[in-house]
Amino acid sequence: MNAATGPGAALAAAGVTIRPAGPDDAVAGVAPRWVALPETTREIAAVMRVSAAHDLAVVVAGAGTTLHWGRPPERCDVLIDTCCLNEILEHEAGDLVVRVQAGVPVETLTEALAAKGQELALDPPLAGGTVGGLLAAGLAGPRAFRYGTARDLLIGITVVLADGTIAKAGGKVVKNVAGYDLGKLFTGSYGTLGVIADATFRLHPLPAARACVVWSGPTLDEILAAVPAVTASQAEPSAVELDRPAPDGPRAVAVLVEGAAAAERARAVRDLLGGEARIADEPPRWWGRLPEPGFVEPGGPSGGGGVLLEIRTVPSRLPGLFAGALARTDAAVRGSLASAVLRVALPAETDPAAAAAFVSALRAELADEGRVVVLSAPEPVARRVDLWGHVGGLALMRRIKDRFDPDRRMSPGRFVGGI
Amino acid sequence: MDPELIKDCVHCGFCLPTCPTYVLWGEEMDSPRGRIHLMSQHVEGTPVTPEMAGHFDACLGCMACVTACPSGVRYDRLIEQTRAVVEREHVRAPEERAIRELVFALFPYRRRLRALRLPMRLATRLRPLLERVHPSLGAMAELVPPPARPVRLPPRVHAVGRRRATVGMLVGCVQSQFFPQVNAATARVLALEGCDVVIPPRQGCCGALSLHSGRDARRFAKATIETFERAGVEAVVVNVAGCGSSMKEYAEVLKDEPGGWAERAAALRVRDLAEYLVELGPVAPRHPLPVTVAYHDACHLAHAQGVRSQPRELLRAIPGLELREIAESAVCCGSAGTYNLFQPGPARELGDRKARHVLATRADVLVSANPGCSMQIAAAMRRSGEGEMRVAHTAEVLDASLRGLGARALGGR
Amino acid sequence: MSDPVLDRLAVRFEELLPAGAVITDPVRLRTYECDGLTHHRAMPGIVVLPETAEQVAAAVRLCGEYGVPFVARGSGTGLSGGALPRTDGVLIVTSRMRRILEIDLPNRRAVVEPGVTNLAITEAVREQGYYYAPDPSSQQVCSIGGNVAENAGGAHCLKYGFTVNHILGLEIVTPDGEIVELSALDPGYDLLGAFVGSEGTLGIATKITVRLSRTPEAVTTLLAAFGSIEGGGEAVSAIIAAGIVPAAIEMMDALAVEAAEAAVGCAYPEGAGAVLIVELDGPRAEVEHQFAAVERICRETGAFEIRVAASAEERAAIWKGRKSAFAAVGRISPAYIVQDGVVPRTALPEVLAGIDRLQEEYGIRVANVFHAGDGNLHPLVLFDDAAPGEGERAATVSGRILDLCIEHGGSITGEHGVGVDKSRYMPKMFTEEDLDTMQLVRCAFDPRSLSNPGKVFPTPRLCGEVPGVRKGVHPLVESGRAEQF
Repeated sequence: MNAATGPGAALAAAGVTIRPAGPDDAVAGVAPRWVALPETTREIAAVMRVSAAHDLAVVVAGAGTTLHWGRPPERCDVLIDTCCLNEILEHEAGDLVVRVQAGVPVETLTEALAAKGQELALDPPLAGGTVGGLLAAGLAGPRAFRYGTARDLLIGITVVLADGTIAKAGGKVVKNVAGYDLGKLFTGSYGTLGVIADATFRLHPLPAARACVVWSGPTLDEILAAVPAVTASQAEPSAVELDRPAPDGPRAVAVLVEGAAAAERARAVRDLLGGEARIADEPPRWWGRLPEPGFVEPGGPSGGGGVLLEIRTVPSRLPGLFAGALARTDAAVRGSLASAVLRVALPAETDPAAAAAFVSALRAELADEGRVVVLSAPEPVARRVDLWGHVGGLALMRRIKDRFDPDRRMSPGRFVGGI
Repeated sequence: MDPELIKDCVHCGFCLPTCPTYVLWGEEMDSPRGRIHLMSQHVEGTPVTPEMAGHFDACLGCMACVTACPSGVRYDRLIEQTRAVVEREHVRAPEERAIRELVFALFPYRRRLRALRLPMRLATRLRPLLERVHPSLGAMAELVPPPARPVRLPPRVHAVGRRRATVGMLVGCVQSQFFPQVNAATARVLALEGCDVVIPPRQGCCGALSLHSGRDARRFAKATIETFERAGVEAVVVNVAGCGSSMKEYAEVLKDEPGGWAERAAALRVRDLAEYLVELGPVAPRHPLPVTVAYHDACHLAHAQGVRSQPRELLRAIPGLELREIAESAVCCGSAGTYNLFQPGPARELGDRKARHVLATRADVLVSANPGCSMQIAAAMRRSGEGEMRVAHTAEVLDASLRGLGARALGGR
Repeated sequence: MSDPVLDRLAVRFEELLPAGAVITDPVRLRTYECDGLTHHRAMPGIVVLPETAEQVAAAVRLCGEYGVPFVARGSGTGLSGGALPRTDGVLIVTSRMRRILEIDLPNRRAVVEPGVTNLAITEAVREQGYYYAPDPSSQQVCSIGGNVAENAGGAHCLKYGFTVNHILGLEIVTPDGEIVELSALDPGYDLLGAFVGSEGTLGIATKITVRLSRTPEAVTTLLAAFGSIEGGGEAVSAIIAAGIVPAAIEMMDALAVEAAEAAVGCAYPEGAGAVLIVELDGPRAEVEHQFAAVERICRETGAFEIRVAASAEERAAIWKGRKSAFAAVGRISPAYIVQDGVVPRTALPEVLAGIDRLQEEYGIRVANVFHAGDGNLHPLVLFDDAAPGEGERAATVSGRILDLCIEHGGSITGEHGVGVDKSRYMPKMFTEEDLDTMQLVRCAFDPRSLSNPGKVFPTPRLCGEVPGVRKGVHPLVESGRAEQF
């Protein structure tokens, strides 16, 4: 290919900062050729137009914390790094709404909002991520029980499609039913529909007070027997989290209560849990983090190297799950007993066949009433399992992908059904 | 069909879930909103087609939609006007005509009804045969309650203790023949609360049946007004919901009659028994009545007259009595005046539905203020085979408490 | 004016559906000519009343076979003409699909058919201490299927969110007649989220799994009367600034209060320029704490009368005026337009002043009812349809209110939907590219544009074939056995 007319030259001529990719830029082992560093939505569009003209496959990366999730892309020519899309565009405190560019680190946003007494009520389980990454991976944390997940708090979005089209949906008002909600489609889409340029969220006031009821040491049976009364209680807990580092190790349940009169409500929760639970001002240090077999330190490289699963089911299935497949492995489990979303980590040294069998066992046990998604896994394991399991409406999803990205250039192959 | 009244409907649909036929069939044309739409089609020039007439006939006239309507649409007036148009313009099938003539020749006349009571007892046994001849005849036979001992009421019952008021009492055609004990209880309760009760012996039909079917009720209305004017009473107390609601409409019915009839009608203070007793305030001591009661809102009381809280208030004030609400209380039981005779199919479905909800309360006694409802629901409960319940009128419950008779005195099955 | 295609289709429907489920009589058909928005009317070609998902799917497939468009309708209470029929098409009415199929309290969910009314769900679980949170004003009659299509809101969505936040699963019939199950548990694109609020253009929901919420321990409702709308607005801002998220904050202006008074005798304080209803719910201790703050704020911002509901009956009495407000306006005006627009809460004072100017400019009265907490305005534009030209002036005012909303960064609809009524405003809110992108979703679901065509989007758009390649064979097999390649 002629260097003067080839894609490299075209990218260079697009008016966007481009650098050649290095070994550190690989996406799950697939090395891009160029890294683009757009600073505006228009610059993203310029990169996308060149990519369309030259049939370049594009992967978007924020901080890269979940870039190894899903399957490796089939190909990757251009890596769009959103690090330069780092502006908080609008924050009108009186409206409880914020509009941010995709590359803004979640921590930065949290600090800015806290300064105004507000928060984006999502607790991504990984430190260091960006807003765009949080959306693309559809991450949520313990308080999803009360506030919902990213899709519930997203009210507007600007995206750039594979052909460079800039499109927005929603807006900056919380209540709005004009047009299709593209934001929902892009949330959790793993970069396969287009590039998220900026997002607008509904915010919540920082709770006036919070208290956490922690019960350490009970058996799982005791926990599972006590929790339904807590989740159904009118004390309105924001989250009910379990930590089970190993089947026979120490375990704990923590219940977060937020808002006025938190202390009083926390006492009601403690009474429901039983005498050994105690009330703390803050949640325990494992709170909201991914499970790690042989937990070492808070905020460590979560899930690193091992197999990480997400189980989504309904509360009534939890006892059977813990008595069944979850009891038989050395998996570490953390997650919400209230919304029945658990994350499970297997040690890095787990035999690939055993890991695959474990996933199958979980799926068999849950049948229709739950899903098991392999978020990340070492290659030998990934080869043996279906990462996504059952996907309702897959045919419709393929048709959506075909319309948005007919040439399959956006993170091809990363997502469900090979999308 | 007054176009101005039709225009009041903003098509919001709030009437739909309260409409018995919509509840049954889920069709727009069989909802108040749909029927008003049909009326507007007629006003715009569409003739009354058999389909259109069928949807108007299917309306029970329960007026639940009037209660539910936030825009104040006078569906009650609209459907009465519409029925008159249907009677005038629509030619019914011969057998349907025959049944209607039979009912209108029979029910508004107490003497004819009395003469009929014995043959109807016989008819109960002949029901399967009658059913085959015409479903309406079968329905008629099924509804008949066991024969009641005739009660002869004196023309005047004197107040017990200090007299607080003089009231007239309408005895009702069906009530006086099939539930005479209710009239006796009503008179006693009023007397115990300090009323002189005047019961004109020669009173006729109030005209409710005709009025609610689109027939001319003026003759009945005038006669009734004259009767109670002569009685010299402060108020006319009515213990039949259907009769009370039509008497409250007299001024409207007679508005074009020469001779000041509308004014005379307006001067007649018509009150439902419960409504009147609450206005009057209790003086007689209540004796305990340890019984569980399911109170049924008769449409012509709850929707047509807006009397919902008063009977409940009276019942709750009885020591020992526990009041239970019936699910879907705003939906008609299917009796609706002559409806169960002309539209036996849907009436039966609605009766079954109501019976299920009534039985679910597990109360001892079903209380309502309309003989038609009591007959209809009792028949449906019998039919269901899932249990029966004693049936009583609000007046009977009050009577039992005021006289200290105890719960056993209440109602037969 | 019989249409031979529809005639043949009607015969096929008769074979397929139960007796009485196919309506072809013109007098009957006309009763379906509009939904809650009566100034758009079209007599449907055929109406069908299916009872099962299979019947819906079969009906949709038949429509596809004959190339006939179809429109779904629930209770027909929509206010944007979303269920406006097609004269050349079929109206599929779900009012006979109204069974509550399952109530599963341990997992806080219920499975219902689309014709079940919103309120019926709450009534089915109320005694057990649960309820279904979204509460559009028409909740006693509107169907849950319609709620899903419109992403219905309600007074309490300020705290609890909209329909989309409470739907856990759907069974849908796609525009090509396939029955597809969508679950919130599923990985992949959020089809559930895309479908809710798509106004019937992506298919018909035939089974709906809703989230049930725990009844709050305490509910306190407060009514505050202010001399002016500005006073009420100030109170709203101060409440939000205090970090309180009430379950609902509703405001009505003097004209709306007058209408409600005429309709239901709600007995709101006399002489109020604005009435504010604030409802707090949650754990008792929290509610008490917040209530004290809200009451203080209302006094400080100039409320001249404050009433507090002490019982469920008193609460119902306070809400009665608000809930009846739309229909009640019929008592003070021969005709009116219900508008639905949204502005950022902080822009409320400016927008209300703008509406005042419009009233003067056009000599048209506007009664304001709004969900003040989320900036959702429901101006009721009053006019006399017998007065020449007044209807047009009212329509102009109504449209210019939407312009105001867009200018202030808001939306042309907060909960009533775009339907047929507002599709022409979509290009004011969205660019051509935005609309084209939304159209991609439409084309993925309904390439032939048979499902509720002519709604939401301003101009008919053709989908065309998917450009590009690789139809059929995918490089990765679904099961993920990547090493085969």
